[in-house]
Amino acid sequence: MSRTDDPDSEDKTTDTEKIAESNPIHWDEAPNNRKAPNERRTVSHSEEKDDAKKIVTGEAKYTADYAREFPDLAEAEVVRSDIAHGVVTDIDTSAAEAMDDVYAVVTPDSPEVPEKPYTSAGQSYPEPSPWDLRVLRRTVRFVGDPIAAVVAEDKDTASKAARKLDVTYDEYDAVFDTAEAMEPDAPQLHSADDVENLQPGADYERNIEAQMSGEIGDVDAAFSKAEESEDLTVIETEWETPYQSHCVPEPHTTIAHRDEDNRYHLISSTQVPYHTRRQLSHLFDVPIRDIQVSKPRIGAGFGSKQGMITEPLTMALTDAADRPVKVETTRREQFHALRNRRPARVELRSVVADDGELEAIDMEAVTNSGAYGPHGMTVASAVGKKPLPLYTHTPNIRYEMTAVHTNLPIAGAFRGYGAPQGHLAVEGHMDEIARELDIDPIDLRSRNVISEGDLEVASGILKDKEYGRRIRSCGLDECIAEGRAAIGWDDVDQPEADHLHRACGMALTIQGSGVPGEELGAAHIKMNEDASFILQTGAVDIGPGADTVMAQIAAEVLSVPPEDVLVQPSDTDISPFDHGAYASSTTYITGQAVKKAAEEARGMLFEFASRMLGEPESAFTVDDGAVISEITGESVSIEEIGYESMYGDEVRAQVMGDASHCTEESPPPFGAQFVDVTVNEETGEFEIHDMVYAVDCGVALNPALVEGQIEGAMHMSYELATGDGITFDEDGQPQTLGFRDYDMPTTADQPPLTSLIVETHEPTGPFGAKSVAEIPVNGVPPALSNAVRRAVGVRIGDMPITPEKIAAALDDD
Amino acid sequence: MEIDITLNGDDVTFEIARSDTLLDVLRDNGYTGAKRGCDTGNCGFCTVIVDGDPVKSCIRPVSQLAGTEVETIENLGTQDDLGPVQSAFVDNSALQCGFCIPGMIMRSKALLEENPDPDEADIRDALSENLCRCTGYEKIIDAVQDASTRMSGEADVAADGGRVSTDATCHGCDCLEGGSDK
Repeated sequence: MSRTDDPDSEDKTTDTEKIAESNPIHWDEAPNNRKAPNERRTVSHSEEKDDAKKIVTGEAKYTADYAREFPDLAEAEVVRSDIAHGVVTDIDTSAAEAMDDVYAVVTPDSPEVPEKPYTSAGQSYPEPSPWDLRVLRRTVRFVGDPIAAVVAEDKDTASKAARKLDVTYDEYDAVFDTAEAMEPDAPQLHSADDVENLQPGADYERNIEAQMSGEIGDVDAAFSKAEESEDLTVIETEWETPYQSHCVPEPHTTIAHRDEDNRYHLISSTQVPYHTRRQLSHLFDVPIRDIQVSKPRIGAGFGSKQGMITEPLTMALTDAADRPVKVETTRREQFHALRNRRPARVELRSVVADDGELEAIDMEAVTNSGAYGPHGMTVASAVGKKPLPLYTHTPNIRYEMTAVHTNLPIAGAFRGYGAPQGHLAVEGHMDEIARELDIDPIDLRSRNVISEGDLEVASGILKDKEYGRRIRSCGLDECIAEGRAAIGWDDVDQPEADHLHRACGMALTIQGSGVPGEELGAAHIKMNEDASFILQTGAVDIGPGADTVMAQIAAEVLSVPPEDVLVQPSDTDISPFDHGAYASSTTYITGQAVKKAAEEARGMLFEFASRMLGEPESAFTVDDGAVISEITGESVSIEEIGYESMYGDEVRAQVMGDASHCTEESPPPFGAQFVDVTVNEETGEFEIHDMVYAVDCGVALNPALVEGQIEGAMHMSYELATGDGITFDEDGQPQTLGFRDYDMPTTADQPPLTSLIVETHEPTGPFGAKSVAEIPVNGVPPALSNAVRRAVGVRIGDMPITPEKIAAALDDD
Repeated sequence: MEIDITLNGDDVTFEIARSDTLLDVLRDNGYTGAKRGCDTGNCGFCTVIVDGDPVKSCIRPVSQLAGTEVETIENLGTQDDLGPVQSAFVDNSALQCGFCIPGMIMRSKALLEENPDPDEADIRDALSENLCRCTGYEKIIDAVQDASTRMSGEADVAADGGRVSTDATCHGCDCLEGGSDK
């Protein structure tokens, strides 16, 4: 990583050959990892989701559904700042404390509330986010900052008591725009003295949380050359995205209590049980061993539940009230007080030759972290690092990012993780180049884009050492071909009416599969007598079906039906360690741990079969619930081995396997987004006829679940392209306080979605799989913006794309 | 105060507070299939059926419901014996996190009772007050269309998990709500 103000950062020595050598195209793939479609027993089959039946009967239990298991459970209400910036000078709690059935009123002064700064980010350790949060806050920095909490017999009582708190503020000037926030006279949100674990480039006097830049080649020289050459064209564009809400169906909820050993036990809607346990331990100075975090069913996360938001407060409140406490957030809190996708402004300049070959890309992003810093540095980095690898062959690339604080809600992790903001800029920009040079947008991309066998270096642009990753699978050409055919790119029928114009737009997309070199997934599998297996992983299924895919991977190795592999939900007391559900990592990282653990268990099956049948272990294979000798054809059923392993006369040993997986590899999935739109040039109104997304996620281990990821992500991507996002008045007061104020598409206004799966084989992934959870969220803003541009000639680069903006732009023309 | 309602076919009496919503009372009494998603009647996760109509239970004061018939997701099939709407959702992979699904199924059931043969536009219109964040609605629409086919008896019995339509009789099998003889 190099800082902008670091003179040495220009000094990078390149050694691409060495990088290429250490990332050979050949990968020493494990035997049986590559199976022809007809050899696959359960992977690449659309197996039923393992929790489907209990979901449709209403029996699936989410955190709030556990309330009835705690007869003395108390409920809490959080008191939040109603000003955007200031200091709480006094909280009069007396009226609330005098109320019946109020168990505790907690403020920053309460002994149960830690004073320490921390981050809620839920990332690896040490956390790449500043420690700038306090559980309850004396200085408030946005409307919604938690300043106190009330615990009472029930939520109604807690809410009534909370309204009786009399809060006095000393109000400060506030700032809501990132450009203004960096001005010398802008109100300052944080002091470096109050923040620990500062991130690169932090300059709190200018409200800068983090700032980094990196360069490949010599961008300035490329632009200088362009000034002198008639064969080189310079294109400049600007892009902007608003706050977006995750709209998680299940509001963040935590139940905390002390168990019979006086340990803290939290049932919580979290994507990261282990990171949460570690962060709570550090924050409360409680040994890790004294905290248990259990994950029940989760009503989706999309990154918002990577944030440790309700857990610290609930833990403090269970001590303050001396009884089990539930904190269940409201939808209103979800919209204005928790986490969001951060707004971004991106400027892009490029140098391109007349034939469409990219010579240089210069990209600069400013992201709005809101009031605090979780994921600020890493998402702002990702705005460039995620999409730029598409054009890694560009000889000169520079990326500079700045993460800036304003007095608006906290941004956090959100599906895509900066990639949607970055893809809007990069893929919108590609169409502007194509338009300027009069080249077909697909042809322009095909000339420049990454492909299989390439060494990708652009994702390492902010690293202080040369970095490269080998692309061992890439189905972009097929994605383009299939998407192009499905949308009808080459055959658009213009409407008869002169004022209606129809066009297709497209965008390429890329993501990763886990954080390279960072993540760890572990798995434990053990066999029961009846040839069923219990699989324990720390993988956190938050809805997409990760547990089902884990069962399929184990079942494929063991040649049993997937329903014979029972997957236990993640629990820090029971499950092996896992970084959790983020960064599109679970199938790729934890799935590989599951595969290795199942292979170890299979090895034990072979040991028993060897003794039982008198043949060498190497003779055996598994098929259809039995271990079979490839030499003699003799077989023994896995169930027989199950009984023999536990009650046999010769050797008794539990058939089981354990494994961990961590890797420097993070193979990108690829995809192509297409949008078909008709625009009314008189009103700016537009109708989307179809949105097609074709993905290469390696081998789709469960195609129905993959389609579900594509369709759900495209829905969110469409919302980012066309919805107003979260809005605020001039005092920073949120105007979006419920679904009624927010443009989440419903069945009535969601345009049709078509998902296409292109199979490639990723040799480093379990049975050839890469990730798919995030990548389809990247494409609709640029593809729709490009489609509108092609239809009526105007460019809407600041999201949302609305009829009003199109009409105004047409008027300006 | 107390209130008498018919819940899932049983006459029940609940102790309630005047400010309680139907959702409060259902969840406090163990009917947790209906989910709390917004408390403002905008997400539909709490949808149940009251006197045949889909109702957002989070904004319906329970004190107004004396004497009504309330049906919740708990009244539909069991995991071993799913109802047609439920099995259509399972078989069409029309669920992910599942938090919206009980409400979505109750809304779909009410639609199909009112209109057994809805087209896609009818379904999109009827379901538009129930949000889903995971699926983009594509597979949910497919599931409701499939459920319609199953309930009209057009689907073969095997595809419906051994179920036949409710007005048919059942002989010599152990299947369904519709037929009582085994």
